[in-house]
Amino acid sequence: MPSITATALRERMERDLPGVAVATRPRVVEAESKPKAKGKHAAERPDFLATNDTVVVADRLRDAAIYLRDACGYTYLSDIAVVDYLDDGLFEIVYRFYHLDDGDALVIKVRVPRDAPNVPSLTPIWPGADFHEREAFDLFGIVFEGHPSLIRIYMWDEFEGYPMRRDFPKQGDKYIDE
Amino acid sequence: MIKTEELQINIGPQHPSTHGVFRMLVTVDGETIVDLVPVFGYLHRNHEQIAEVNTYLQNMPYTDRLDYFNSMANNQAYAMVVEKLVGIEVPERAEYLRVLMVELTRILNHAGALGFLINDMGAWQTPLAFGMREREKILDLFEMASGARMMCNYFRFGGVVRDLPPAFMPLLKDLLVALPAFFDEFERLLCENEILLQRSEGVGVLPKDLAISYSVTGPVLRASGIPYDIRKAEPYSIYDRFDFDVPVGSVGDVYDRFLVRVEEMRQSLRIIEQVLEQLPDAEGDHINPKAKQNVRPPVGDAYARIESPKGELGFYLVSDGSEKPYRYKVRAPSFINLTPLGDMCRGYKVADVVVILGSIDIVMGEVDR
Amino acid sequence: MTIQFERGKVVVIDRGARKLRVGQGMLKGMAVVWHHWLKSFQKLDNFSKTAGVFTVEYPDERIKLPEAYRNMPILLYDDETGQELCTACFQCQRVCPPQVIHINQARNPETGKAIPAAAEFIIEYDACMSCGFCAEVCPFDSIKMDHEFELSTEDHAELTMNKAQLSRPVSYYERIAPTFWAEVKASAYKKLQNSVKRRVDLIGIAPQMVEKVKAMRAAAAESEATEAAPSSAPTKPSAAETSPATDKAAKLAAIRAANAAKQDAGNGGTSTPEAPAGDDKAAKLAAIRAANAAKKAAESGEGSASVAPAAPEAPAGDDKAARLAAIRAANAAKKAKDEQENS
Repeated sequence: MPSITATALRERMERDLPGVAVATRPRVVEAESKPKAKGKHAAERPDFLATNDTVVVADRLRDAAIYLRDACGYTYLSDIAVVDYLDDGLFEIVYRFYHLDDGDALVIKVRVPRDAPNVPSLTPIWPGADFHEREAFDLFGIVFEGHPSLIRIYMWDEFEGYPMRRDFPKQGDKYIDE
Repeated sequence: MIKTEELQINIGPQHPSTHGVFRMLVTVDGETIVDLVPVFGYLHRNHEQIAEVNTYLQNMPYTDRLDYFNSMANNQAYAMVVEKLVGIEVPERAEYLRVLMVELTRILNHAGALGFLINDMGAWQTPLAFGMREREKILDLFEMASGARMMCNYFRFGGVVRDLPPAFMPLLKDLLVALPAFFDEFERLLCENEILLQRSEGVGVLPKDLAISYSVTGPVLRASGIPYDIRKAEPYSIYDRFDFDVPVGSVGDVYDRFLVRVEEMRQSLRIIEQVLEQLPDAEGDHINPKAKQNVRPPVGDAYARIESPKGELGFYLVSDGSEKPYRYKVRAPSFINLTPLGDMCRGYKVADVVVILGSIDIVMGEVDR
Repeated sequence: MTIQFERGKVVVIDRGARKLRVGQGMLKGMAVVWHHWLKSFQKLDNFSKTAGVFTVEYPDERIKLPEAYRNMPILLYDDETGQELCTACFQCQRVCPPQVIHINQARNPETGKAIPAAAEFIIEYDACMSCGFCAEVCPFDSIKMDHEFELSTEDHAELTMNKAQLSRPVSYYERIAPTFWAEVKASAYKKLQNSVKRRVDLIGIAPQMVEKVKAMRAAAAESEATEAAPSSAPTKPSAAETSPATDKAAKLAAIRAANAAKQDAGNGGTSTPEAPAGDDKAAKLAAIRAANAAKKAAESGEGSASVAPAAPEAPAGDDKAARLAAIRAANAAKKAKDEQENS
């Protein structure tokens, strides 16, 4: 059984690839749902940034991914998802790897600031990341350095703006009067 | 010496064989493909942003419309991810009903996909009509159980919306008599047909190692020789209770994908028969009575994936503690399976492009979301 | 890579490499097609067959749709009383994924308080997804999914349905989905009774039934007045279906009528008000006598027998009570007559 848990991965990374992983708050799973906070706690922002998965420095993403593929055997890149944390001012990109024998996923996350979302592209190593990265570029505006052809995939080429960002207006059509 | 030029032509987006509004920008030298770039987005409905505005329950009918061919499979993946996030248990009987519906969907999908593939090859709709006949029977069953043929909206958090009506079981049992006969007939009709062999053997080969690095999943991956089936690799629901085999191919061409799908139909039938044996002993209701549909999951994220008939269908949900998702992402199999299309088609003829596309089995609702 | 599975194995499919290709595969396929062509002279009427004609010659033939089939939502109202089951609780509006339901709650025109009925109910059929959530969450079983699917039209605006176009009698739904309705019938009617108690006037009556209900109520009110007149004992309307307000009004009318009758021991009389249908002749006669007595009393300036009994628009369902009151009045009148004769 090749499955490596998230904590095991973090330990291995710290051992083999120093300086790649970033320290994060662990997410504690609440046993029961707490009653909704009232009064001055009501406006508490949800703590999105606490996570049990390994967060990796953006520049070293390729090293981490290659480590996962060659040293840990997780050759199958399943999904690249982008989450826009407007209040925290960053994009979180979630890479999900699976081992072909069986088991659970190994997830590494990359956090980039919203005003400079540059991430090295995995497409030269994993051609399957091509469409994922183009979609992230099209809908969120994340620039993947090293991607062979980073062009829009859903919206037409002249479209301006990044529709899935949380500050993109959900109603109205700015092209309708043009 | 005649000077030739490379032409760039568009196949699609309006084309009867592109399985939806799908455009391929093809560079041809004569009749041979030099390069192929898939272009899509014509059916983009921004499903993911709609989901941020709806509550979790209101999203369920929208998932039907993702891979509109197999709505029950989309429903299952979505129900699974929300149940994972919230922590709802599903009673046994509901699990059996879910597996029954999804395996019927798999038969539906493969019958339709193979029918359309053969249609694209030029066997003008005869095998398609045979496949459609069995599809119609299964769609009648779905209509009886869920209320609609295609947009089933049958699954809820914690189970399914209602139990099977009394008229369902006798019809299903009759169908189980017809299906093996149909599979045999389908094989006899097609699997040795010289035209099919000529057009599909050696066409659109995807080698093993490339298949993994292209992140393809589903029958395409298995036809290339890698026995990765999520129902076996990371069993979800109650798939670990059933005996079924995983067919793999050896070469990775269109013919292998065809044969893998035919064999998968047979394995699905095997699973359905086991479901029917075990269903009467299953305990529980068709839905968890304590499950509330207006869920408010705790802050966190979850990912759930299933082996949909087209590949790995996954949903990634991030919750902020409210009744609406914060981020909802769909990992669509057809979308990713299109990545190697350019590589697979290089060097073949224009007519082969249609066949190769048909063998990947895409549905634009999923590709574009 | 070898992967061991539990409960299954990896099957490498056999491509059946054949050296000889002279067309035998195609002939095999043609044999299948031939077999189907032969069978096409029979009907495929059973799921266990794989060959035969199974085309349904729509629109000449139609298949019966299963009960669970859902297309567009409709609102239900009770056949007899015309009361709509909808109480404007807004659950369907909240749950609708494309947000196509728009409801206005009815308000009491005098007090402004909310009444459990919908003043206006609009569904945009053209955007409806037919998901069935509205029918699932409705606590009063008033919105259900219809089976009607032939809704194509050239006029787009026609597809925005208002309450009048959405309302169907319960008998219609019972016909298309008998098992579903049977499961919820009892509880739906019980909840309807609770709603009816809080409704005033014609609020909550389905638009198709408004005229009829008005007429029924007018008839009931008049017959109640006239029937209550000649009774020597105050009549008690059957309590089961009357609201407390009508109860009281009916009692009051009965008492007044009784007084009036006592004053001029019902002798003959003229005219008129229609007696409620289904009564025997004696009751009709009694009604006529009572009316006349009342008129006389009114003319003689007594004023106490104001027989137009407070026409509180008794809510429908009250005509039964009125009929009962009329019967009792008839009996009382007969008794009074006997007493008169005996005295």
